[in-house]
Amino acid sequence: MDRETVERVARAAHIKLTEAELEAYSRDLNEILSYFELLDEAPGCDDYGVNPIDVCDVLRDDEPRMEIDPDLLLKDMNTYEGYVRGPRLS
Amino acid sequence: MSIDMTMERMRAINDRYLMFHAMAESVDTDAGFTFSAKDNLTSKDMETCAGSKILIGYKPVFDATSIARMREEGGFLMGKTNMDEFGFGTFSTNSGLEVPRNPHDVERACGGSSGGSACAAAVFEDHVSLGVSTGGSICCPASFCGVYGMAPTYGRVSRYGLIDYGNSLDKIGILSAKAGDLRRYINVMAGKDPKDPTSCVQPELKNEERSMKSVAVPKEGIEGLSKDVESAFNNALEDLKRMGIDVEYVDMPSLRFAMPAYYVLATSEASTNLARYVGMRYGQQEGDLSLKFDDYFSSFRSEYFGDEAKRRILLGTYTRMAGFRDRYYAKALQVRKVVIDDYKRILADHDAVLAPTMPFTAPRFDDISKMSALDSYKADYLTIPANIAGTPHMSVPCGYGSDGMPIGMQFVADHWDENVLFTMAEDWEKEFDLRRPEVTI
Amino acid sequence: MKIGLEIHVQLPTKSKMFCSCPTTDAPAPNTHVCPTCLGMPGSRPVLNRKVLEYGIMLAKMLGCKVADTTWFSRKTYFYPDMSKSVQITQYDNPVGEGGVYYLGGKKPIRITRIHIEEDPGKTKRVGDQSSLVDYNRSGIPLAEIVTEPDLSTPAEAREFLGQLISDIRHVIDLPGDGERSIRCDCNISVGKERCEVKNVTGLKNVERALTYELVRQTKVLKAGGKVERETRRFDEERGVTISVRKKEFEADYGYIDEPDLGMYNIKELAESIKIKESPLQMTLRLARDYEIDQKMAKQLVTTSVSLAEVFETVAKQYGTPNAVKWVAGPVSANWKHMEARGGTPEDVLPAIARFASGEITDTECAMEIKCAMTGESMESLGNATGDLENIISGYLDENPGIVSDYAKNDKAANKAIGYVMKQTGGKYSSAEVVEAVKRIIESRL
Repeated sequence: MDRETVERVARAAHIKLTEAELEAYSRDLNEILSYFELLDEAPGCDDYGVNPIDVCDVLRDDEPRMEIDPDLLLKDMNTYEGYVRGPRLS
Repeated sequence: MSIDMTMERMRAINDRYLMFHAMAESVDTDAGFTFSAKDNLTSKDMETCAGSKILIGYKPVFDATSIARMREEGGFLMGKTNMDEFGFGTFSTNSGLEVPRNPHDVERACGGSSGGSACAAAVFEDHVSLGVSTGGSICCPASFCGVYGMAPTYGRVSRYGLIDYGNSLDKIGILSAKAGDLRRYINVMAGKDPKDPTSCVQPELKNEERSMKSVAVPKEGIEGLSKDVESAFNNALEDLKRMGIDVEYVDMPSLRFAMPAYYVLATSEASTNLARYVGMRYGQQEGDLSLKFDDYFSSFRSEYFGDEAKRRILLGTYTRMAGFRDRYYAKALQVRKVVIDDYKRILADHDAVLAPTMPFTAPRFDDISKMSALDSYKADYLTIPANIAGTPHMSVPCGYGSDGMPIGMQFVADHWDENVLFTMAEDWEKEFDLRRPEVTI
Repeated sequence: MKIGLEIHVQLPTKSKMFCSCPTTDAPAPNTHVCPTCLGMPGSRPVLNRKVLEYGIMLAKMLGCKVADTTWFSRKTYFYPDMSKSVQITQYDNPVGEGGVYYLGGKKPIRITRIHIEEDPGKTKRVGDQSSLVDYNRSGIPLAEIVTEPDLSTPAEAREFLGQLISDIRHVIDLPGDGERSIRCDCNISVGKERCEVKNVTGLKNVERALTYELVRQTKVLKAGGKVERETRRFDEERGVTISVRKKEFEADYGYIDEPDLGMYNIKELAESIKIKESPLQMTLRLARDYEIDQKMAKQLVTTSVSLAEVFETVAKQYGTPNAVKWVAGPVSANWKHMEARGGTPEDVLPAIARFASGEITDTECAMEIKCAMTGESMESLGNATGDLENIISGYLDENPGIVSDYAKNDKAANKAIGYVMKQTGGKYSSAEVVEAVKRIIESRL
């Protein structure tokens, strides 16, 4: 994992790294990834799922319902006239 | 039954061991029993931070199903236990808040990531603690603190209200100094919950006594052990044989692939779960909103996430990125199936797979600070396989090292077969002389 | 020029995709929200059955192969209105793949895939200082339909969308102004490289944005330049597209499977779901399957879907010529009358059967059908019909040119129709006269 890739990954993950951090994480990640090369040797299979047990066909009926008062949800949020405040868009 | 505990005593104990991040404001002496819960389970009356600075101020408006069911059973929630940030660690030292101390030696770690839960279970009388295991976070601290700990089958206990680490791996379980509590409280929490689809496919939890007849010890599981752990484990095997249990050594070749596969799956999922923490909506929210959103999010995340959280976010973002996804993420999913098949093969002829829980006893804090990230990942190699497979597993205390620190062994049963583990714990408790730590204030 | 579209359609459920919050218009911002659609730590998604059903219906409508097993994925994307910074969508094994949809009944437009996903919230700009977010829309179910680049002009893209929306509305009872609620990502290439114009709302704007791009890319190429692969957005007020980001700065979505929902084995569900055919589709199918003129097919379907069904029954049992002769003829002419008196269309089948087996003549069959449909007696009808047919026959005898002209252009019948209407002075309905004139002319061809 070269420096450029670490930078690309950090950008995608929205993590800012200082020069020193970039170096330290590059070192750690490279050590970890070389250990992960073990995976290349591992046997594969076709019939794997998303979960370790079969979770199938769990559905909910289309019935609208409000269980929690939205005011309660918003009480600790930074809001303005009912809107949630966020950063600048562009 | 009434609760024999005062707030003064609770605070004094917590000052010494730092098991709780948040505590109840008063003691409910009329409650049926006391319990605590790992701080990644949401609770209405207490701040829930999952060990992270980024969530300071998050006061959930709903109880996790597991906590709600314990309360309905008459439980009094004493406190929320300290943990590695989002569960990212083996020693609870990666907490963004407080680091719990081992009740057998406060210079040593409790293990992780449910370290505060194991600590509370060891220190308080008649107390159970809810832990969460992703890669071994219940059994590891149970082993280090000398208590019983069980993570049931994936999907047995609803994850509604759990602050996610790896959604295909996380399991809520129990830690206690009393073996019988495993059966009792897993029964309280288990069962389908329409709020968590993965809990809705479980068969009923069985409770008739089912004694263990035979265990398989994988040769790959007894490599790299410390002398103390090796000898305690061998003594325990002799005890098991005396109890009439067959012990057979087997090969389990998939075990060595479980660790890298686990870290790929866990960090891939974690990095998506942690994407939501951007300084809006909950937890820490004060920042300069006139920054462009990308910069606002990045600066916020960089400031409040701890070192290990950042490392796992970077690792997990990489392993699922276009171009690398097939080599890491997709392959790890396949390896999980291979590990499950390996367990099924062995468990067709045995009641459980058995190995020591951790390769060493609870390390000192100063030794932990010298370990690299990979060193501590590798320390989980015994607890990871059962966790990636979603099979129920349990650590029981099985001896003490020359340093006086507890040692545990871990039984792994087939999916949905918690019963054989409950019975084993109850039978073992009659044979084993458990040492409770001396609680000093 | 090649155009491919990614079309987002809001699905008309009562509750959101992964939580029970209502989908109706909310009284104020952030009032139809809960921990799940706000992405609060500890919350979890549970899939709305209706969303899966709608997805399957649209997949079938688009001629896609419906997956036996389908599941969801997480697309990681940081934006203030995306409450989890993750959108639950489909990546591997979407609901449907590999369909074909016929534009105007003729031109095949290949459908790459259709998947279901959740909508993010809505952001509002506040000067340049910050943003305001309303999560009421967060978690509203969407279907995304992706086409191959088979459309050739902006006008064709608009026509395609118009037809698609009208069909979708018919199949899943899409309410309200479907045209405006549709959002499109448009991929367009004049030369080799393509650009994507994101999030264009409404049919008219799709055509405007594509036309702007067509002109822009052509200019760049003519000047000897290169069109850069990039993402652009459409400024509705100014009618121009603006570059948002270059290809190399595309977000890394890092798709993984969504473990909180598990898998959905939808083979049986898909088999049990029957979709309503839209009038347009039925028209196109009748024209294609029975090789009849599209106008005739349209006439049948617009009169009544049941009439078109009678046409199909007759065509299958007695051949298309009999269906054209009788169902498109007298049955169609007397349809309104029959409906008014509450008759059933099956009553006409015995007469057609007897004609097909040679038991009765042309005239007898026409009379029997009319009796069956209007309830008049054969006798009274016999005289009247005799009158009508005599007048027509007499007129045609005197003007044989009409028959030969009719062979070239069926408008030639209008002269005879006008004459007969005048002669009979409103005794017969215009539909009856038209039918009788055409039938007698055709029998002389």
